[in-house]
Amino acid sequence: MAKAEHKVLGTNMPRMGGVERVVGKGIYGIDLNLPDALCGGVLRSAHAHAKIVSIDTSAAKAIPGVHAVVTAADAPDVRYGRSYIDRYILAKDKVRYTGDPVAAVAAENQALVKEALGKIKVTYEPLPVVVDTEEAIKESAPTLHEDMPLPKNLPEGFQVKNVCGYTGVNIGDAEAAMADADVVVDEVYETRMIHPQYLEPRVAAARPEEDGRITVWTNAQAPFPVRTEVASLTGQPLNSVRVLSTDIGGGFGGKGSGVTSSAGLEPICALLAMTAKRPVMIVMDKAEETISTTIRSGAKIWIKSGVKKDGTLVARQGKVLYDAGGYSGFGNQAGGRCTQMVGGWYRLPNIHMDGLTVYTNKQVCGPVRGPGGPQATFAMESHMDSIAAELGMDPIEFRLKNVPAKGDGIVGVPKLRDSSLPETLNTAKEKIGWGKVKLGKNQGIGFATGAWIEGSGPGGGAVVKVNEDGSATVHIGKVDFGTAARFGIPMIVAEELGIPTGDVTVLNVDTDASPWDAGTVGSRSMLVSGNAVKLAAEDAREQILRMAAATLEASPEDLEIVDKQIQVKGAPSRSVSMASVCTAAHNEIGDVIGRGYFDSKASQVHEREQGSSQPFTTHAALVEVDTDTGNVTVLKYVCVHDVGFVVHPRAVEGQIEGAAAMSLGQALCEQVVHDSEGRTLNPTFVDYLMPTINMLPPIETVLVSGYPGAGPYGTKGAGEIGSVPPMACIANAIYNATGVRVRRLPLSPENVLRALREAGK
Amino acid sequence: MSLEITLTVNGKTHTAALEPSTALVDFLRDTLGYKGVKLCCNTGECGACTIIMDGKPVNSCVVLGADAAGADLVTVEGIADGDALHPVQQAFIDTGAVQCGYCTPGFIVSLKALLDRTKNPTAEEVEEAISGNICRCTGYTKIYEAVDLAAKQMS
Repeated sequence: MAKAEHKVLGTNMPRMGGVERVVGKGIYGIDLNLPDALCGGVLRSAHAHAKIVSIDTSAAKAIPGVHAVVTAADAPDVRYGRSYIDRYILAKDKVRYTGDPVAAVAAENQALVKEALGKIKVTYEPLPVVVDTEEAIKESAPTLHEDMPLPKNLPEGFQVKNVCGYTGVNIGDAEAAMADADVVVDEVYETRMIHPQYLEPRVAAARPEEDGRITVWTNAQAPFPVRTEVASLTGQPLNSVRVLSTDIGGGFGGKGSGVTSSAGLEPICALLAMTAKRPVMIVMDKAEETISTTIRSGAKIWIKSGVKKDGTLVARQGKVLYDAGGYSGFGNQAGGRCTQMVGGWYRLPNIHMDGLTVYTNKQVCGPVRGPGGPQATFAMESHMDSIAAELGMDPIEFRLKNVPAKGDGIVGVPKLRDSSLPETLNTAKEKIGWGKVKLGKNQGIGFATGAWIEGSGPGGGAVVKVNEDGSATVHIGKVDFGTAARFGIPMIVAEELGIPTGDVTVLNVDTDASPWDAGTVGSRSMLVSGNAVKLAAEDAREQILRMAAATLEASPEDLEIVDKQIQVKGAPSRSVSMASVCTAAHNEIGDVIGRGYFDSKASQVHEREQGSSQPFTTHAALVEVDTDTGNVTVLKYVCVHDVGFVVHPRAVEGQIEGAAAMSLGQALCEQVVHDSEGRTLNPTFVDYLMPTINMLPPIETVLVSGYPGAGPYGTKGAGEIGSVPPMACIANAIYNATGVRVRRLPLSPENVLRALREAGK
Repeated sequence: MSLEITLTVNGKTHTAALEPSTALVDFLRDTLGYKGVKLCCNTGECGACTIIMDGKPVNSCVVLGADAAGADLVTVEGIADGDALHPVQQAFIDTGAVQCGYCTPGFIVSLKALLDRTKNPTAEEVEEAISGNICRCTGYTKIYEAVDLAAKQMS
């Protein structure tokens, strides 16, 4: 629980590293300056599906200034993957999407890299291509992975091909309850692939060291998983690999949780450096990224619900086909989450869902901003409005009738400790002016709720070192790209140690020195590192107070730290400075090192026993539809969120607004477009449309309070949930404006106009 | 074949060699060391590499380095007055408009160019000035607020 009073927490302190960013210091991966480094580059498949008959690298190797040319033959015969171990760092025997890495080159300069890549002769035998999940599961479809078995948990009736993941949801008896329902609504929804399009390109650098170790620099979100995979995929012992993180220019999951769910760039770079015996740096080109790195997958969602006439939900059945792309990547995890979320977060006693993750000849699914959630919610929350319309009920009233309350279970949560969903609904209704604002011609208001269940996941540690001047140095395993690591984390240390936030330095990750961590993923920075850092700072404070107690002739419990002075509570004139105590510590314990960790398993047990408090949200949009062009203009957008206790309000709002904007982009215009041969038709920013400032109104964020979560002081994850509702929210607003339901993204002028015309409008 | 050009960056004169095909963004970053000019899309669409060239904001990825011969350039490194940040820079920090910060130099340079042109820009002029800058972190809301705050402090 939050203390009655905080000095630092809850304020908007300037982010650590803010000045460096506004004056243009070279702090990102792309700004790395490695003396004597060669340039690296990757040859990517021009075919979406083909056998590799032969690769001839001799002409490339013969070019003066080319120091290494590597293929799968030069790497250990080891594959990687998350639940399916199905991928080599460089394609062996087969390529499975356009952009699949086939070979890599290190040379004196970029021009030579390009020349050498052009001289690698790959002979392919093209195979039939499948880009659609419904086609891919047919018996007639080409098989992508001949040696991969179907998932062990695949039920009867789903023994179809190219499946690499299955998730089932079985609660109550959905079939019987559906038969008893007064009204049944049955729909199909479809979302398309988008690319996270972080602005800083993917970068990897590697340097073989004199002692036989290898140092890898990366702007990936998860340095420790990168270490594990670089070691295994290059055949090095784990302790021979050191990974250093740089500052990161955006990630959103695209620079994901290790090699598996990102570009696989680090092991390729390490292999080049080991072969060339020189440092090598690879900077990806943006168009190369769009066709080859991991993305937010498309999903096809069948959803059917049964309700009573009074609006009580009684049953849901459905199916999800989730696109993994050419390899399983993060597909099983994201597809599973998507399937669960189509089940929803309302009180619903009977649910049956089947979710299949399916290989296609497209680029690979990654964990982009709420993996699976935005897709599921486009279907689920559009569907909720369809049911309300069918019943003739107000969409807010229909949802309020079915919200979970304290003690209820929802999919993935056995028991809720409380439920903020009703408050977010009511607040969103009021803020957008539902029933009050006078709507113009073709204007409409839409709502969509969202959840991002905090469940199981890795733990992580923290070390807080207090220096002899009273300043603190913090080691965590999470990296920064505008998230908690440089906003809220320093504030927790400042609060607990009674020192200014500016005296706290959070270091970049060095796998030789930092505590292990799964990375900055899953909206878990505050939960994991926040809890760990709080405990580490408390540990450091206890050590300091114990030493000060002797000097002040008081007991440690009677002491407090205020503005870097340790003083006796109620008698502030009896004080000693942090600096003198921490300097004197050199003669006692050396220095003050506080250690803390977040025990994820213990937290899960606690939440299961006590019931858990989950983050919920409702978004509301006011839109205007141009019925001549199909263009949708968002006039007002409100995000109401419960994220528990808020350490840094502006940082949290910024996370929510940015996540919302990305999904608003997916709602209105964003998609990676493939042709039937699996070629990406819009690889550059010229063709890949993203929201700019003149496309979106300022987003209003409202944070409701009183529902403390499992994070420090009662925080909850805030990084991804903002991306969950927007697509459904806009679709519902279009429905409210025009009476037309669009079930396929994007809600672009073309698709909206087609839907209007088909409806005779 | 390389050629040699002379140009001014943030008031400092540089003479350096470059290939005729080198983009200005690469010349500024790799040869002259102005790493604050951020490389991203290489197609003039995202605005991360925005600089002021002879008073006008340009995407330096779609300008040839050779075309900057004799030009007067301002990059994000040249906007603060010593240690004193420009009000736009300070406002970006104060409003939380700097998340990952990778797009920030481009926004700041675009806004500086606008404020050099007109002291009291209208909302439409502000939107126009930064409509070529993409941010994926903030959703633009905090950037709107930063511009408002900077305008208040400058008037």
